[in-house]
Amino acid sequence: MTPPNQRLILKSMEVVVEARSIEKKYGNKAVVDKIDLRIPQGQCFGLLGPNGAGKTSLLKMIYGVSQMTSGELFVLGLNVRTHLKIIKSRIGVVPQEDGLDQDFTVMDNLLVYARYAGLKRKSAHLKALDLLRMMQLEDYEARSVEILSGGMKRRLAIARALLNQPELLILDEPTTGLDPQARQWIWHSLDQLKRAGRSLVLTTHYMEEAETLCDRLVIMDKGKILCEGHPRDLIQEHVGREVLEFEVAPEDLNYYLKKVKDQYRYQVINSRVNLFISETQDGREAARIINSPNLRLRRAALNDVFLKLSGHELRDQ
Amino acid sequence: MRLVADFFYVPLPGRGVWCIWQRNFLYFRYSLWVSVLWVIVEPILYLLAIGYGLGTLVGEVQGLPYVEFFIPALMVISAMLVVFFESTYSTYTKLTRQKTFDTVLLTPVGPDEIALGEMLWAASKGLLSAVGVALVGWSQGLIDPQMILPALGVVALMCWVFAAIGLIFTSLAKNYDWFLYAQTIFIMPMYLFAGTYFPLEVLPPLVRDLALALPLTHAVMAVRSILGGDFQATILVNVAVLFGMAVLATNFAVSRFRRKLIG
Repeated sequence: MTPPNQRLILKSMEVVVEARSIEKKYGNKAVVDKIDLRIPQGQCFGLLGPNGAGKTSLLKMIYGVSQMTSGELFVLGLNVRTHLKIIKSRIGVVPQEDGLDQDFTVMDNLLVYARYAGLKRKSAHLKALDLLRMMQLEDYEARSVEILSGGMKRRLAIARALLNQPELLILDEPTTGLDPQARQWIWHSLDQLKRAGRSLVLTTHYMEEAETLCDRLVIMDKGKILCEGHPRDLIQEHVGREVLEFEVAPEDLNYYLKKVKDQYRYQVINSRVNLFISETQDGREAARIINSPNLRLRRAALNDVFLKLSGHELRDQ
Repeated sequence: MRLVADFFYVPLPGRGVWCIWQRNFLYFRYSLWVSVLWVIVEPILYLLAIGYGLGTLVGEVQGLPYVEFFIPALMVISAMLVVFFESTYSTYTKLTRQKTFDTVLLTPVGPDEIALGEMLWAASKGLLSAVGVALVGWSQGLIDPQMILPALGVVALMCWVFAAIGLIFTSLAKNYDWFLYAQTIFIMPMYLFAGTYFPLEVLPPLVRDLALALPLTHAVMAVRSILGGDFQATILVNVAVLFGMAVLATNFAVSRFRRKLIG
């Protein structure tokens, strides 16, 4: 029996992931709540959001280790329900915890994985050496993975994901827990992979990372997509050019807001006010009107979009 | 009923089964001497202590010197213990602490292949331990070398049964303590009462009938007959029982384990 959506295969060539109303429920709680998503080919696509937003759950359905409760999901034009093995042979995945085999050396980690992926031993070995050089791990070939630093482990996990020369590379929080140097290094190598024509999908809760790397992204919260677009466009649309931050005592809040609320959009976060300055407005002018002692004018960032769209309460998990 | 359906689940094998086996074999090579020590040296100690040591006090059982009566059981017992340890503690560690299978699932190797690969590995390791005992027995003139291969055939089948049973415990376990329960209520009684250290005939009739429901009993009976050169029809019954248990336990184990892997 051919599923009705099999027809989609033909017209979705330029799309690497297409999700229609996909949902993941644990009991009655929907961690991914009927999401529609199209991820274009040849780009770096970001899934952003706080812990518990559903990013990882969504990603796990895409790379096929978690089953959808309902919905339709096509990866590389193939239905995940019926063509999972083929999909897995054509994608590469860097999971959040690296998933390295602590029992083995660096090289054996790659070779064992290459065997799972169905590569011939000889070509796997050559490919592995290549990737170790690319990830600057060639000196560690025969060492146990236990001695690697966090950044090196992540690089090895990326090398492993590239063994089968995937068309789509999926990374779950690729720089979480890494120091700034390691983070820069990984950004650089991901950028190169993209330039080489690979499609990338990554999750992150670092807005800076998303602004640097992503051509397009969605911001998620509570299992839903809040917005989608190019990072700069999203900032432009939801926040503007600049943000004027200032602290006020609660009893003074209304006094200050009255001065500006007709002209500017704003958000109040505890005792701090964020005033959004659009392309056509002047931040210094706003600062003059507010005339509070502790003002700060800065460029608008993705973080502001996120805080604005999601509300601002702290998340534990 | 999901419980019943689990027994009729048909596992989906593939080349991944062999990949999983090879992964475990690689680890075995990393820790070769520890593994060999445990798998082969330990049975030898048993043979010395129980077979020769205790055996001299016991004298003859069923017309055989005790050590000759005991050695078929030793083959089967060591295999069972090795298999069970491997498919419970080791597999559980890979499943939970090391998350080895999470990485495998990123590849085209599927959950059924992981389950079957783990079982195949555990069974192989158990069989290796039986081979160790057989070689020692042969060197001591306790075992007729021509009977070793057919006996190992039965042991291999039994190893598969225990690999499946171990995997069932692994997929039910909430922590390592579960395997202690499994050992106490399941493995130890079998280890002691399945016609291993003393013949079944010594047991009261009711207990003897209960013992016939245990896989180890059938393995001990068949291996003892084969090594004794005593080819009876009961061997076929033993093998048939083991085979039936193997099929049902495999279906159940794979069905459970795959649910554990892909929630």
